[in-house]
Amino acid sequence: MSSQSVTVTERVLAHPKYRILVRKRNRISLIFFAVMLVIYAGFMLTLAYFPELFGRPIGPGYTLSIGVLTAVLVAISAVVMIAIYVSFSNRVFDPLIRQIVKDVQ
Amino acid sequence: MSRPVLMATAATLLLPASAHAAGGQANASAIVMFLAFIVATMGITWWAARKTKTTADFYTAGGGITGFQNGLAIAGDYLSAASFLGIAGMVYVSGFDGIIYAIGFLFGWPVVMFLIAERLRNLGRYNFADVTSFRLGQVRMRVLAASASLLIIALYLIAQMVGAGKLIVLLFGIQYKFAVCIVGAMMIVYVAFGGMTATTWVQIIKAVLMLIGATLMAILVLAVFTFNPDALLAEAVRVHPSGAAIMAPGSQVSSNPLNALSLGLALAFGTAGLPHILMRFFTVANAQEARKSVIYASTFIGYFYLLTFIIGFGAIALLVRNPQVFQPGPDGSIDIINGLIGGTNMVAVHLANVVGGSLLLGFLAAVTFATIVAVVAGLALAGAAAISHDLYANVFARGRASEKNQLRISRISTVALGVIAILLGIVFENQNVAFMVGLAFAIAASSNFPVLVLSIGWRGCTTRGATIGGFIGLIVATGWVALSKTVWVDVFGFAEPITPFPNPGIVSIPLAFFAIWLFSVTDRSAAAQRERAAFEALTVRSQTGIGASAASDH
Repeated sequence: MSSQSVTVTERVLAHPKYRILVRKRNRISLIFFAVMLVIYAGFMLTLAYFPELFGRPIGPGYTLSIGVLTAVLVAISAVVMIAIYVSFSNRVFDPLIRQIVKDVQ
Repeated sequence: MSRPVLMATAATLLLPASAHAAGGQANASAIVMFLAFIVATMGITWWAARKTKTTADFYTAGGGITGFQNGLAIAGDYLSAASFLGIAGMVYVSGFDGIIYAIGFLFGWPVVMFLIAERLRNLGRYNFADVTSFRLGQVRMRVLAASASLLIIALYLIAQMVGAGKLIVLLFGIQYKFAVCIVGAMMIVYVAFGGMTATTWVQIIKAVLMLIGATLMAILVLAVFTFNPDALLAEAVRVHPSGAAIMAPGSQVSSNPLNALSLGLALAFGTAGLPHILMRFFTVANAQEARKSVIYASTFIGYFYLLTFIIGFGAIALLVRNPQVFQPGPDGSIDIINGLIGGTNMVAVHLANVVGGSLLLGFLAAVTFATIVAVVAGLALAGAAAISHDLYANVFARGRASEKNQLRISRISTVALGVIAILLGIVFENQNVAFMVGLAFAIAASSNFPVLVLSIGWRGCTTRGATIGGFIGLIVATGWVALSKTVWVDVFGFAEPITPFPNPGIVSIPLAFFAIWLFSVTDRSAAAQRERAAFEALTVRSQTGIGASAASDH
């Protein structure tokens, strides 16, 4: 590690917005991860321990079951969560990162 | 099996489908499209070879791939024949249970996005071992990463080669060994000459073809039911031997719920530890492009899985109307599950013929072939990186290998991996390889994933903890599967399995995390102090991208 990169690292560490960035980003990542786990674990636990519930049709006259509909919605939710995370990163984190990088270099 | 017998077998298997006018043409259109794919990809390889001069070109395509291109390439790399044909086949056999795999594979992507992707890009250069060894001991982390990666790649390769060989025999009517050799030889040409650039474009082309093919099939299936999905499902329930049970979690789950959860864990966390997938993130210019890659990749993958549900249920509803795709039993009766010609992996292929005729069948056959070579090429590249970049340059030569030597070793490794893949494909021809992709995911989730997450996310992680924990995850996952019903009983022929259920994830993943924690917090060495102190510098780079490897100029 060159001495210059050490000073850049130290300057980043001293930057007030760096702390905000790291704290916010870690929190957001963990929240998204937790939401994902709840959805995924909810789906897996329901199908493992309450299969009858998933087997029921979504309404009288339908063949489509609650389980198949849930699976489709759960699949869509995975992509939607990623999309929200990306837009959050673009709007909130990227400006912070740009600011820090500009200030220390 | 001798050549004439095999050809005859292939011919008999193909005959019922090709006895009618469609079959002969199907073969012709399949061969034309297959040749078009080879010509196009060889042209790309020739172009890519001229651009591949450095190790950075070889492993990252110079870092100049856009997020959108990389998203498509990831989809092309991730959606193996197992996803494409396997999930459609599983839905065909058991309905809902097939969907579980698709959801598990898909949920790997939020994990990659929220925990890994951007920090991985900021910290590494060629592969994920650059990241795990960023502040931890080079030699031990590289050996661990290379061990897990090469094992994952070998398992994945065998599954692909065997599946590929059998499919190509059925689709093109050629000999199994010949089919395996074609796949291996093409992989060697793409990767050894064209490196990551050629591999990326092969994967992009394949992803586009696959998305087009699956979309067409889903539309044609739904059109039969006047675009009413419920009518499609009602017909599927009416004709399937299990009836309404296909709409609910079935026997696979109810017989052992823990096994289903264990499988779910390995599928969701395994993606974030697959070396060939992680490697794709170094082909883009920066963390923002890595982020874009994930949203595009997960959109394509999610969309594709929704199509496979339609294809799977559509196959239940429609194949039964076409007795020529079944081998009738001795009494002339048709078993729609066990009687399908070529087995249930051929569900999507038969359906293509039924709804789209010989042209769509030919297209799908060509797509299947493209799928196999695209995935195999990605695996070979990751394997070459493990051998040349990890084991040779950073362990054997201790970081003093010249650029030229590294590139040479990479190419030699690629050729060697291709030859090994062909040999393994031949050796395992008649073995049960169904467990292999699952085991690859379990190892990725139990070794690479915990080491990666904790080395970039937890200050306290030390080389000792990561090494011991990573190897424990690797050994427990492998040992568990080896002693389970799928290997101990089905492969080795013992009477009783030793492990209670086949999927190790629920045990091996937490165990690996726990071991990394335990052997890190008890590590009082001076090296451990330095590694903990280096966490700040790692975090600065992983968060801001300052100092991250940039795209090379062309």
